[in-house]
Formats: sequence, structure tokens, C-alpha cells
Amino acid sequence: MGFAQILANGVVLGTLYACIAIGFSLVWGVLNVINMLHGSFIVLGGYLTYFAWASTGISPVIILPVVAVALFVLGYALQYLFINKVVTAPVLTTLTLTFGLDMILYNLMTVFFTATPRRVSLDYGRIDALGVSMPVDRLIGMGLALVLTGLLFLVLKTSRIGRAIVAVRMDREAAALMGIRVNHIYATTFAIAALMAGAAGAVFAMVFPVTTNLSGVFLGKAFVICVIGGLGGVSGALVGGLALGIIESFAGVIVGPQNAITIGFLIMLFLLIVRPTGLVGVKGYE
Amino acid sequence: MTTQGTSHIKAKTLAAALGAVAAASLAAPAMAQDVLKIGAPLALTGGLADEGHKQELVWKMWSDKVNAAGGIDVGGTKMLVEIVEYDYQTDGKRAGQLAEKLINDDEVDVLMAPFGSGHTKIVAAVAERYQIPLVACVSSSTEVFNQGFKYLFGTLAPNSGMTEAMVAEFKETMPELGTIAVYGRDDVFPKSMATAISAAASGAGIEVVYEELYPVGAIDHSAALSTIKSMSPDWVYMTGYTQDLILGRKQMEDLGIEAPIITMVTGPAYKEFTEGLGELANGVSSSTWWHHATGYTDVSGAWDSTDAFYQAFLEASGGEDPDYVHGSCAAALDVVADAVTRAGSVEPTAVRDALAATDLETFYGPIKFGENGMNEGREMPIIQVQGGEIKILYPESIADAEMMVIE
Repeated sequence: MGFAQILANGVVLGTLYACIAIGFSLVWGVLNVINMLHGSFIVLGGYLTYFAWASTGISPVIILPVVAVALFVLGYALQYLFINKVVTAPVLTTLTLTFGLDMILYNLMTVFFTATPRRVSLDYGRIDALGVSMPVDRLIGMGLALVLTGLLFLVLKTSRIGRAIVAVRMDREAAALMGIRVNHIYATTFAIAALMAGAAGAVFAMVFPVTTNLSGVFLGKAFVICVIGGLGGVSGALVGGLALGIIESFAGVIVGPQNAITIGFLIMLFLLIVRPTGLVGVKGYE
Repeated sequence: MTTQGTSHIKAKTLAAALGAVAAASLAAPAMAQDVLKIGAPLALTGGLADEGHKQELVWKMWSDKVNAAGGIDVGGTKMLVEIVEYDYQTDGKRAGQLAEKLINDDEVDVLMAPFGSGHTKIVAAVAERYQIPLVACVSSSTEVFNQGFKYLFGTLAPNSGMTEAMVAEFKETMPELGTIAVYGRDDVFPKSMATAISAAASGAGIEVVYEELYPVGAIDHSAALSTIKSMSPDWVYMTGYTQDLILGRKQMEDLGIEAPIITMVTGPAYKEFTEGLGELANGVSSSTWWHHATGYTDVSGAWDSTDAFYQAFLEASGGEDPDYVHGSCAAALDVVADAVTRAGSVEPTAVRDALAATDLETFYGPIKFGENGMNEGREMPIIQVQGGEIKILYPESIADAEMMVIE
């Protein structure tokens, strides 16, 4: 089978992976919170997209921003009401809190949506070019993932709130002294991460069937990608996601799909030893 | 003062009430003999919640029906049935702990196993240790039943029965069938089916060109399916849970795999599969243990025909069709009731021996346990989605369609 096909599979999958990890990386890097809710946020985004699509027939591309805003509001509220109370506590405390919140959200989703796999069936067909077959819905998903990633990059780089987020990430005390409302920035960061997760969920619903028990899988992927790519920035998630997608794609063909995921974890372990900041991570965020 | 006086009286009343309750609960064991207690650890939340709710639904239907008719006959007296269930949250370890709780705290007489071979195996080990009969209605892997357990019985038939019949049937319809690609989920049941089909296919002279497993956490199948495409097999056989199979079928289409036969075990057995795939589900075949289109009549148990069960189910579920999980689990309670009646007591050893001697015709089909406790009395249907509907290709006695080759 063609090298090009394997590579293309990996790149498309990798971009989608980046989309999963970006919010997780942001919260981890800025808030030093390992957000166990992240996987469930993605699943929630996916379900909301599915139900909006199934009841109205509107294209998920249009539903995506609405779902993303809904997740933004939810994320802001959760951070402001709960996580901010303990955000300066050791990482284990916030991990336990988000783990508890995750169990509540996960089970609520199972109760209301059931665990039945749902799929937004667009079935746009596929494109065959240069010996590579690629489904159109995946290409759209990839496009959306790149647009979202680019937007977040711009927001962090150029907007006032983005600069404030970067400032808080660099030095919380100094940022507070400069008049930045740290709690508000924390809540906003968490909300942006939830927004990205919701958008990722919408993208995923177009490509993969959504079911609640994927939340742990998504969380695991986000974790590996952050370690491979590095924390705190958009580029880390993108590099980590692409690396993992391509590694899994080639490993799936060479050593079999059963071992592809193991190879991803082995590379993560290797990087932890030789390059704890990740491939492009900022020093101090290892 | 008044307030104090009142609370004093209240406290006295409370004490008296508590005493009465205590006395009543002391008398309870004698009463308990009139109720057959069936314990069930169920996955009511978590990844297998859908399946857990299916079991819960039919067991409630069954116990309501049986209790409304006065209960079951045990040694000349009528016993009501009580199903004690706990949610084990799709966490295998917890299923084992709850089985122990059911046996020790709730003192159940019989246990029902949860969904799937993996979790059944865990509960079976507990049941065996305490020597409490366990009936498993959604476990078909020989690996669960070959451990020498004496108290474990299963209403599904062994996996190998499904694969050999399928190979023979397909080979007959399509004599030029020469190659098969097998792609299975690395999990107890899907793995066991993948292994069984490879063996059955090789045995029938079909070349196995691809045979790989994917891990439980896989969310994408591009790599494997691209490889399979390059081999252009006549038959693609994939096993997994519904979400895996929906994605797998879609990716086969996306990547342009053109196999005349696509089998997904046990995708089409669930309505979620056909709903999730729409048009793409057409032509996908599968084995299943039961389908409501099978027409068994004049049988024993809570329902006297398959149709009677089907109608009752439509009412209870609000118009949804039952699948094999519903059928097998409802019939499993018929088996328990029949065994307890024949044993004439709820004493575990007596019930166990009666279970072993089961030879029952139910709405779900014949049930007769083999040496290892698995149901032997079954010919399992091969089904195929045709025009969005489930058609039965095999066995001939209940078949209602010819096999369709995917164009």
C-alpha cells in the first residue's frame, strides 16, 4: 500500500488529534490544572452537535460555533464557581476536583443521551487523487481543526485577553501587580479551553460516532499529545497531534493496529526521559 | 419545659417504633422464604449502560408478569420473585464486589450475570466461590465456560457454532469466495469471534489474507483498512462494539473497499447499528443468537410464543424492537423459574442440579445446557441488512431472504 496514503491518513488524523489536545494543553500550561473534564467536554460538544443536526438538519459546520459558545459559558461557570476556589492548591487537589466534576458530567450525559453511539451522517463521499483516497468529511474536519487552531493562535498572540493569558502563564504574581484580574483570566482560559473542546467535539461528530465512553479515550490522547508536543502553546498541541497521528498511522501498518497505540506511548516515555518539555514546549512547563 | 416534655414523649414513641421495626425485621427471615431473590449486578451507567438497561427492562417485564400471575410454583407453594439489582458502573472489579454483596448481604438465591463475556467471567468466579447458581444471558465465549465452573450456565450458544455455519452458508451462495480479511477488537468476545472465523475459513479452504486485532481504545481504523483495501479480499469480517463497527463500515466506504461480503459481528443485531449507518448498513451480514422474527410457538415460560414476547416488548419499550440481549435475558429467567420449580426449593445445590438438567422450549428457542454450562440446543440465525430491514438467511427453517452480495 502506498506511502502517500499512510502519510495522508496520519496527517488528517493528526490534525484532528491536535484539535482534541489544544484546550487541554492551554489549561495545563496556564492554570497548572490537569483538566479531567476535557474528554467529557469533547463528547458533550459532539452530542450537542448531533442532536442539533438531527432535529434541525442544519449543517454541523454552522452548529459548531453555537456549540462552542455554549461550552464557553459552561467552562467559565465551572472555573469561576468551583475550580478557582482551589486553583492555587497542589495539582492533586485540582485533579481530584475536575475528576469529580467529570464523573458528574459523564453520568449526566449517560442518563440524558444514553451511551448509544450517534453519528452525524453527512456521507459526502471521497476524493481520489495521486493514489490517495480521502473522505470529504474528514477533509472538512481537518480544515475546521486548522482554522480553530489558527484562530486561537491569533487570539493569544494579538488580543488583549490573549496577552493577559500569556502574562498570567509566565508569572501570576507579576501579572496581578500589573492590574490583571487573575481569577477572570483563569476563568476565561478555562472557558476558551472548553470552547475548543466543544468545537473539537463538533468536528469529531462529523467523522466518528460519538458515545460517552469515548471521553476517557480522548483524555488519554490529549495527555499523550501534550507530553509529545509540549505544554502551554498552540504549536505544542499541533506538533504533538501531528506526530501522534503520523506515528499511529505508520505503526498501524508496520506493526499492526494492536500495537500502534503502544508505540505512541513508548515515544511519549522516551520523550519524557530525553526531552521533558516536549518537542516544541516552552522551558519551565515540563 | 413544654417543649422538653413533648420531645421526651416523642423520643419514647420513636423508641417504641424502632422496637417494633426491629421485631418485624427479626421476623423477616421466615417471610423471606416466600420470595425468590434473584441478584443482578448491572452496568446501568458507564460504557455498557445501554446494554445494562436492556437487561433491566426485560427482567422487570418478566418479574411483573410472573408476579401478577401469582409467582412461581416451588414445592407446592407460590413464590413471588424479587430482582435485587445494583449498578456496577461498567467497572468489572465493582461487578465482582457487588456480586459478593448480593450473596452475603442480600442473601439472593440465584445470580444473573451482567453484559459481556469479560464481566461475566468476573462474576462467575464469585458465584463459584460461594456456590450460588449464576445464569449468564450475554456471554458466548468458550473462555468463560471452560474454567470448570459448576454453578455457571449460559443461554447463548458457543461462538464457534456461529462461524462454521456462516462459512458454509456463504461458500454455498458464493462458490468463488476465496479470501477473507479478519479485523477484530482485542476484547474477550470480539477476539474470540475473530479467532473462530479465521479457523473456520481456513478449514473451508478460504485464504485468510489479513488477520489483526485493534486495541480497545482505538478511535480510528484508517491504517488497518487501507492495508485491507490493498489486498482486495472477497470477504471482510470485522468484530467489535457498535461504535467501532459504525466507524469501520463508514471508513471502508471512505477508503473505497469493495468487498462483496461484509460481515460485522454483531452490528446488525443492534438497531443502533442500522440507525447509525443508514444506507451504508445495507448488505452487512452478521450472526446473532436470536431475532424476533423467529417464530417459536406453544412454548413454556412467561410468554408462550415469540410473538407474545415481541408484542409485550413493544408495549414496554414504547415501540422499539427487541434484540438478542432482550430475548436471551428474558429467557434466562424462564430457565431459573423452571429450575427452581423442578428443584422444589431455593437451596443453591438443588437449583444448580436442576439447572444442569434443563431441557426447555422457550420463546427464545430451545435451551439445554452442555457439559460446560453453555446452551447447546441452538441453531443461530445469520442475518443481513436488506433495504434497512433485518432479514434472516439461515437456518432454512426460519429464513426469509436470499443472501445479497454488496455491489
